[in-house]
Amino acid sequence: MNLYLLAPEISLCALALVVILLDLFIGRKWILGAVSIAGLIVPAAFTIALWGTNETSFNGMLVVDQFSLFFNLFFLVSTALVLLSSTEYASKFAAFRGEYYALVLLAAMGMMLMASTRELISIYIALELTGISLYALTGFLKDPKSSEAGLKYLLLGAVASAVLLYGMALVFGLTGTTHLEGIKAAISAEGLLASPALLMGIVLLVAGFGFKIATVPFQMWVPDVYEGAPTPITAYLSVASKAAGFAVILRVFYEALGPVSLDWSIIFAVLAAITMTLGNVVAIWQTNIKRMLGYSSIAQAGYLMIGLATVSALEPGAIGSSGPSALVFFLACYALTNLGAFIAIIAISNKIDSDEISDYSGMARRAPLLSLALALCLISLIGIPPTAGFMAKIYIFSAAVDYGLIWLVIVAVINTVISAYYYLRVIRVMFLGAPLSEERVPSSGALRAALSFACLGVLVLGIYPWVLLRIAEAAVRMFP
Amino acid sequence: MLGNFGYIGIFLISALGFAIFMVLIPPILRRSGIVPKKPNPTKSSTYECGMETVGKSWVQFNFRYYFFALLFVIFDIQVVFLYPWAVAFKQLKLFGLLEMLAFFLILVVGFIYAWRKGVLEWK
Repeated sequence: MNLYLLAPEISLCALALVVILLDLFIGRKWILGAVSIAGLIVPAAFTIALWGTNETSFNGMLVVDQFSLFFNLFFLVSTALVLLSSTEYASKFAAFRGEYYALVLLAAMGMMLMASTRELISIYIALELTGISLYALTGFLKDPKSSEAGLKYLLLGAVASAVLLYGMALVFGLTGTTHLEGIKAAISAEGLLASPALLMGIVLLVAGFGFKIATVPFQMWVPDVYEGAPTPITAYLSVASKAAGFAVILRVFYEALGPVSLDWSIIFAVLAAITMTLGNVVAIWQTNIKRMLGYSSIAQAGYLMIGLATVSALEPGAIGSSGPSALVFFLACYALTNLGAFIAIIAISNKIDSDEISDYSGMARRAPLLSLALALCLISLIGIPPTAGFMAKIYIFSAAVDYGLIWLVIVAVINTVISAYYYLRVIRVMFLGAPLSEERVPSSGALRAALSFACLGVLVLGIYPWVLLRIAEAAVRMFP
Repeated sequence: MLGNFGYIGIFLISALGFAIFMVLIPPILRRSGIVPKKPNPTKSSTYECGMETVGKSWVQFNFRYYFFALLFVIFDIQVVFLYPWAVAFKQLKLFGLLEMLAFFLILVVGFIYAWRKGVLEWK
């Protein structure tokens, strides 16, 4: 048992405890935010120091490889951006800042564990650690909308956990082990179609994880929860929590259920087509920008699932495993873009105290830089060059074409055109609408730093994506 | 593998059969004339175990009990972990002791949190 392998998670947990204790004994609360953000350097440093290792520990429950380390870094960066964007926002719940920061850190720890476990029970515990922290954070504003969102998320999340556990129980009952390698060995012996109960278990697993990534038909909670939750937490849900769900799906389905990939890849292909169509079509009618981005994140989950449907595990040892690497690359681009969009919205909405798109009218004259940043992120969400979203879409679509999923790519391209309508509408309102008042919209230094990081990332990845592509390919290399 | 579920099927059938059999005994005995019909109020009242309730069950509890229940859960979990640890203490050696101390520290943070937030004061 090698505790050093767990160093990023342990240091993050210690950081959360330190934040809780500091909250109790110091009066100047701004220190809490600073400590949480600066403290993230420690787990990030451990993660980078561990890069290149490929070991398992704790009886094979914990695995440290390029994939888990990549996601560790992914979660730490998105957590840092979310914390940076909530330093000003936290004044809305001034009495509970310590709890807020600590819960965000604990949720990040759960996500990191989700990407680095190789055993069903540990996956479930990590999932719950993330989930319970996020349920509490969703209801943090304590106004009727936020409480409703928190309760809805809790109830639906509990149902999804039950479904997931049932799926895990069926898989365990039919294979006799909770370890992913053991499941793989037991499955490859008998085909999937020979055992309907195992198929049932896999479908239930898809349902349970599908709740986390908000795919149709488990997307009902998204609009209400996204609208009611504090905006930094909405950003957190739409980026980190979704990425954690994808990490777990990649881990479970590629490692344990790889031999029967033909059976489940078609499930993901159909779900992807329905998810992106529903998300995009419903987003057109939204008047609240948080709700609109909620439906947009459903649609993006649909694009991401193309990567799951594009299984290249057919010939073992082949280098062209472009489906998973395209998915990981898309996740990174999507994270920067969506976080950027949400940070801009936090900055604007904090001052005008409204999330309605119509209130953004003429924002380009009141806050030129913020509007420009928001426009850049929305363009990246559509997938227009020279942004990260364009590169991500090119890469994931070409992977699907190589695999022969032409029909899915056609559906996705039509969807991209539909999505351009509602993204561009926001830009039109901001740049061509008449301003509702002449008052300027200022923003804090932390918000500006986070926003410029995200926008810079979007532009750099759009023009020079190769570095991240290599890292993404390295991250998924151990998948067969 | 799937054959093992056959045992569950046998259990299910015998459980259902037993329940149906027990429900059917009284009407069969009655119809066949073995048991005479002599009703009285005590006999035809609903059978329940325990005392009859006094007053309504919608009583309001003091909300503070809820905090104490939560705190109780913290220490309850501590004890649940302490028993197996104490039994295996000799084999675990120093590492086990340090591991338990780390676990205690995390729990104590929760306790200090509750203390500082004034949960333990009965106002």
